[in-house]
Amino acid sequence: MTWVALTLLAFALGVAAQGRVRHPLVNPTLVATVIVSGVLLVTATPYREYTAQVRPLSFLLGPAVVALAVPLYRLRALLAREWRALGVGGAVGTLVGVSVDAALPRLLGLDPAARQALLTAPATSPVALQLAALTGAPSALAATLAVLSGLVGALVLPPALTRLGVRHPLARGVAIGSVAHGVGTARAREEGEQTGAASSIGMGLAALVVTAVVALLG
Amino acid sequence: MPVLPPPVRFVLGLGLLTAFAALGTALVTWLRWPLPGSVVGMALLWAALSLGVVRLSWLEAAADGLLGILGLLFVPATVGFIEFLSAGAEWGLWLLVMLAGLLLGAGTAGLVAGRLVREGEW
Repeated sequence: MTWVALTLLAFALGVAAQGRVRHPLVNPTLVATVIVSGVLLVTATPYREYTAQVRPLSFLLGPAVVALAVPLYRLRALLAREWRALGVGGAVGTLVGVSVDAALPRLLGLDPAARQALLTAPATSPVALQLAALTGAPSALAATLAVLSGLVGALVLPPALTRLGVRHPLARGVAIGSVAHGVGTARAREEGEQTGAASSIGMGLAALVVTAVVALLG
Repeated sequence: MPVLPPPVRFVLGLGLLTAFAALGTALVTWLRWPLPGSVVGMALLWAALSLGVVRLSWLEAAADGLLGILGLLFVPATVGFIEFLSAGAEWGLWLLVMLAGLLLGAGTAGLVAGRLVREGEW
């Protein structure tokens, strides 16, 4: 029970910190991860003991992934009007991202665990986590790399897209969502409602595209 | 359906979302699909909402509640990176791969979507 309490409190602290410091690196998941892992390391508690205790939290991931259908359903009008830009743009972006994440680790000769975990990084963390069972990646590594992908994406993508001359809010949004999912979408929302909505669609589509790629490769 | 008090409404929504997760999981087990059950559950819920079998108002509160704390739900998994601290310098390479995937993926998506957008020129 202690570990559930610590996880909840650390996350709440992270949300409070995010409200004060508006920076992509001050992310509630990252703050909670740093605090909890710090306490685990200091008290020399095995990770296995921690996961056994916090299972009630992990259970909620299943229904939460299902809940992703709700924002997508709300955005159906936008999706119906701009399905070409959002559908094709998002799917192509995610495919390119996944291909790079699949090919580059091979060229660099990374070990199989890292290769499999990197493959699902463009999908939102709960999906990456659920896909780990299929790719054979260590689930903790798959989830961490997916969160990091969102964080790094939120930092580097908005200026990179500007440099590329991508100015339309829908194009910017779907580009960010297609590879930087949750954290990226939060960042996209800061640019405006349309950018945020397009990013949510990109993120939902990415979950499906990455799942399809994993299913086809598996 | 009678008006339910908000906590009960939340329970109804959570029950439905869990039922779709369970349904998706049962389906992939039965058909031996190499997909996560919850992602299939998400697709099934989308279909059920579109067909009007399930009303948005039944599960809206629970869905928004869960999505509002989505970042909390995978903390148990991300904390597991402590098992990979020994990878040390490898993390640099992992970040490099990630950065390349992000920039090339989003760059392509942005340029393609920008060309295909129907409304207005920017």
